[in-house]
This record gives sequence, structure tokens and C-alpha cells, in this order.
Amino acid sequence: MAVVRKRYGATDGWINMPDGTKHYIFGFCDITGVPENEIFEYRGKATLLAPLLEAYEGDEVYLTLTNLGFPERPDLDDTHTIHWHGFPNQIPLWDGVPEASISVPVARDFEYYYKPLDPGTYMYHCHFEPVEHIQMGMIGPLIVRPLIEKDPDYSGRKFAYNNISTEYDREVLIFLTELDARVHDLIVNVQGFDWTEYSPQYYLLNGRSYPDTVKSADNPNLPFQPFSSLITAYRGERVLLRFVNLGFQDHNIQILGINLKVVGRDAKELQGFHGEDISYLTNTVFIAPGQTIDAIFTASSPGKYPLYNRSHHKNTINGTTFGGMVTEINIL
Amino acid sequence: MVNIDLWAKDGYLSTPNGNSIYFWGFAKGENLPAQLPGPHIIVKHGETVTVNLTNTLPEPVSISFPGQAEVTVNGSPVEPQYVNGRLLSFVNYATPNGGTVSYTFTASYPGTYIYESGTNPHKQVAMGLYGGLVIRPTDYEVSKTAYGAGTDTEFDREYLLIVGEIDPDLHQAVEEGKPYLVSKYLPRYWTMNGRCAPDTMFKDGVEYLPHQPYDSMIMAEPGEKVLLRYIGAGIDIHPLHPHGNHTRVIAMDGRLLRNNTFDRSFQRFTVAVKPGQTYDQIFQWTGLGYTPDNPIPTILPNLRNMGIGAAGWTMWSGSPYLGVKGDIPVGVVSFNETGEYYFMLHSHSEYQITNWGEFPGGMMTMISIFPSLPEDVGVLK
Repeated sequence: MAVVRKRYGATDGWINMPDGTKHYIFGFCDITGVPENEIFEYRGKATLLAPLLEAYEGDEVYLTLTNLGFPERPDLDDTHTIHWHGFPNQIPLWDGVPEASISVPVARDFEYYYKPLDPGTYMYHCHFEPVEHIQMGMIGPLIVRPLIEKDPDYSGRKFAYNNISTEYDREVLIFLTELDARVHDLIVNVQGFDWTEYSPQYYLLNGRSYPDTVKSADNPNLPFQPFSSLITAYRGERVLLRFVNLGFQDHNIQILGINLKVVGRDAKELQGFHGEDISYLTNTVFIAPGQTIDAIFTASSPGKYPLYNRSHHKNTINGTTFGGMVTEINIL
Repeated sequence: MVNIDLWAKDGYLSTPNGNSIYFWGFAKGENLPAQLPGPHIIVKHGETVTVNLTNTLPEPVSISFPGQAEVTVNGSPVEPQYVNGRLLSFVNYATPNGGTVSYTFTASYPGTYIYESGTNPHKQVAMGLYGGLVIRPTDYEVSKTAYGAGTDTEFDREYLLIVGEIDPDLHQAVEEGKPYLVSKYLPRYWTMNGRCAPDTMFKDGVEYLPHQPYDSMIMAEPGEKVLLRYIGAGIDIHPLHPHGNHTRVIAMDGRLLRNNTFDRSFQRFTVAVKPGQTYDQIFQWTGLGYTPDNPIPTILPNLRNMGIGAAGWTMWSGSPYLGVKGDIPVGVVSFNETGEYYFMLHSHSEYQITNWGEFPGGMMTMISIFPSLPEDVGVLK
């Protein structure tokens, strides 16, 4: 088993929407291996989403969180944590709930330790005043890969779970959130928000609104939104979609022309008490906040297939232009 | 034959931010307070249950029992009630200001159910006229299961969590006899067992919450099987997320997720609790095995350098180890008793863990893992 060592900084930053608006965020950035006298340069460079954290089943993950402070809000000395959402049997010390253990003040470090034993799709987020820090963007994807991939008999092949029926060729993250611009404007202007009035105008896949969702990961106009949602595969390939909902609303995601096989939910293979196969076929996945879904499809014929939110008002940019939670599946 | 007497009455709820909200609820007795949720009704599979309702409120009130078949009033099946051709009630009701009605049914299947007003429910259920009904299997004393021997539903402790929302504008309008547009429903409070956090964690029956007698603190020992019965009493979906472990959902709407021998139960780290539906789950926290003799592989920092109890209080022990108390920095109040662990259980629609927009609050509680607990903790009464 490998040892994974990571160091994430907590700070703030700015993101872009397709209508030309910019929005203030809180978030994380990867400062693994950055010399101590250079970590200061990462202040203000938070990304949405936060870096992908991945490990194999059985790995030992040492994750150091460093609170770099908010250059745009020097008055706001909030502490931060990392909560691995869904990690089973955790102890409070590494669970990241400030009311039940430790949080990290500005200019301090804290080391979290995880030894994941269950493959699947998870998420992580800050749990300090979570309604604010999650909406502001302290959220990231987390994948645990199954040990079967290290079995010499399956060398070079990829699986969602320790079951050959969950084999795939390509994987794409579909991470769902909403953004209420009023919250972000008020917070950068040192104002409070009545959370019961939450009513977002922007609906995001992997931190971007369509058409940005289909742009490449390294698009120069989206320097702090490094995740593309464009799905490209060759005919006959098996594609694993890892859905995560870390917004505050339920979402119902539909694909036109392709059926999905849902093989896992909440980082558990779909199995009954005695191992019964309860996977299922669908073209629409309902996903509530704090849930994840692993679904596989086989691309049978070339073409373009839209993926969108069936609550069509969420496929808009600020309620006007077609956009939001839309992306494309290109089968070559 | 079980006889249950309920009174429909009014009263005032307390919220942690100092608000006092007029509500309607069911009471256990003529001189006892209306409560949110209504009194738990706990019966056994096969029993004939009669619920006698006395209505002290100024409009007709009824009780519907979703999930129960062949409910009767005076020997006839319950039926929708109309006034001038317009629907008033899904079932027979008790007339205002002292009227009575008796419902009788046979508890025909074990499980967790809701009971709620069937009269103008868009208003009366939101006002608080709802409660939980639990039907135990016939072999409960022997099998200690939710659904009977052989169903893999054994448990050691059990907790009922009924979740809902409150829009104070509705409650104020009803109190003052003014009109209210249900289409403008906008909750400002989210409740677990009728309380908002942090009141959810105070004990059952505390005297300063006379109308909200049920707590939501989940308590267990490591490895114990905890039966969590969720009921969605509001009109929105609430994604409840327990820290510490997944739950295995063994039944929904009082029906075991099993076709003959084929088991359809499933594990989730977040269960979307939908309106009017119930979810029975087994939660187990087994731990990672760390003790002072098998220490954690990271170094505990100097706690004075860390954020502990930002609000002036913490539920942490100051130690990574179960049953061990460490040093909490001076000036921070710790509510930790014996080095127990606390894991949050909350709605992941995070604005629902506020009280009128202020975190912390709302639909949130803790799961506490104690090194040892008396047997009478986590017994549903």
C-alpha cells in the first residue's frame, strides 16, 4: 500500500461565468511540495472545484490543511477544516466538524489521516459554518480506487468497485452545485446573508456553467475552474460517470439517447444484504445534496448526446440564456 | 385491543433564537400540552388499534393513517368529507370546539408510519398536526427486530426522527385569523422532532420546552446496531447525512426491502427523506481501533494553536481516543462527559441547518458514541 501525502491551502479567489460576471469564492488549492517560503504566493488562488483527492483502497493518506487566509477579506479570520464526506467509522479528530473537534486558524497547519477501505465516489468540504463555506466553494471531489486494479490478472484495466461488472474505459466527473450571486457579492462586501432566502441564479457542472462546461480543462479564460465536463469516448467504450451533488438543491440529471447502468451510490456498490445485485438501468438520475452516484454507459453509436438537468430552469445562465447544468457526450 | 386518546389543541413552540411560534398539535390528555410532533403511537402487529380524537380547535380536524388499510369510523370505512360539494377532509373528522371521532384499524404490517391531519392538510399538517406510528413485529420481545425474526433487522437501540419545516408567517396568520397563501410557503425553521438545533440535543421532556418533548440525540456504544426511523412530515425533501458511517436502509414506508429471499436493502451516506415517507435504517459505528496503546499515526498539535470551540463551546473531549478526556484550552466550555465521540447528523441542504438564516441551527443533531451506556438509553416509548 502506498502512502499519499498532500497539502492543501485554504484561501479565497475569483471565478468566471459565461455572461462575463466574476464571483468571489472561498476554496482550496494544492500546495503539495511547495517550499514553505513560497506558499504565500497561493493566497487568493482558490479553485472551483478544489483539487481532486484520490487514493487506492488501503492507501495511507496524510492530508495537511494550511489556512492561508483570505487576501480579499483580511478582516475575516475564519478557521477551516476538511470533512471527508462519507468516510466510514471516522474518529472526530479527522472528521473536520469544528463543534466536535479541531479547526485550523489562519497561518496554522493540521494533518488529517485516512486509510480508505471502501472504493467509490466521495466528496470533501470545509465544515466550518458549512452553509457559508460550502456555498462559497470549499468543495472538492474524492475518489477511492478498488484494489482489484492491482491484481496482476486485471493489470491495466479500470474498475469502479471490486467487481468485474463495474469495469470502465473512461471516467468523467459530474459535480453539481448552485451559485447564488447575492451571497458572493454580500460576502466580498463584508455583509451577511439570510440563508433562508437562498435562490441561486447559476447552476454549475464541475464549477462551470455551459458553454464553459465543454471547454478544455486548461482553458486560459477559466484559470481557477480547472475541471471540464466534456465527455468524449470511442464507440464501444464503457464510460463511468461519477455524479456528486454538493449543492443545496436536489437535481434530476438526464441524458438524451443513452441509458445508464447505476452500479454504485454513496460509495457503495449496489448490493443487498446478502450481496444481491440491485444495480439498475435509467436515463435519469435523481441526486440529493450530499449524495454520489456511479453510473456506466456503453457508447454504441457515434454522435453527440446532451446531458442536462431535467428541471429545465437550471439549464440557464442567470435565468436568461440557455446554459447552466448542460454538457455534451461526444461518441467518435 | 389498544385505545389511544389524542386531543387536538394549540400552544406555542420555542426556537433557539428566542422566537415563540403559535402551533396546533396533538396532546396526550385533555389537560396536557399540545406537542410537536404528536405523541408516539407504538403498537404491535395484529393488534386492533382505536384512536379517539377530541378536537378543541376552532375548525374540523381529523387523523389520516397513510399506510394503514381498512381504517373505520363507527364500523364504516373512513371516507372523504365534502361541504357544499367541496373537499374538506380526506377522512371523517371531529367537529370544532369539542367534537370527537374514533378511528379503528388493525396494525397489519410492522414498520414506521406517519399519522397526520387529513383536514385542510396544506394548513393543518404544516401547523403541526402530525406524529409517528410504530408497529412492532409480533415476536419483538424475542427477536428484538424491526420486522421480525429472519429479516436481518436486529437492533440494540432505536430512535425516531420526524423532520419538518416551519414558515412562521403561516403560523402567525392562523393565530390572528388572517389569510395565508400556501403558494408563498417559505420556511425559516427546520425541525427534528419539533425542535431546532441546538435544542435537538437537549434531553427528552426538559421543562423549558413543554410543547416539544422529544429529543434527537442519538446515543450508542461502538458496534451496536442503531435503528433510525426517519419520517418526513414537511412538504420538502430533506437529505439527512450522518457522519461516522453509512446507514443501511432496510425498509421504506413500513415495507421491508425484501422480495421473499431477495434482499433489496441498500447503504447510503445521505438519505433523501421525502414528504410523507418513512425510512428504517441500521447505523453502526465500529471505529478504527485507535487507543492509547495503539496510537494514532499523526501528532496531536498544541491545542492552544488550533480552533476549538469557536462559539465558546465544544463537544470534543480534547483527546483522539474514545473514553479519554484531554485538556481543552482554558476559556472553552466542553460539554463532553466521559470522552465520548460526537458525529453530526444533519440536512445537507445546508441552509436548513440555520435558524432563520443563522448557523448553527435547524435540522441538525449529533450521534454520540459512548464507551458504555445503560440499557434503557435508546428505547422508544
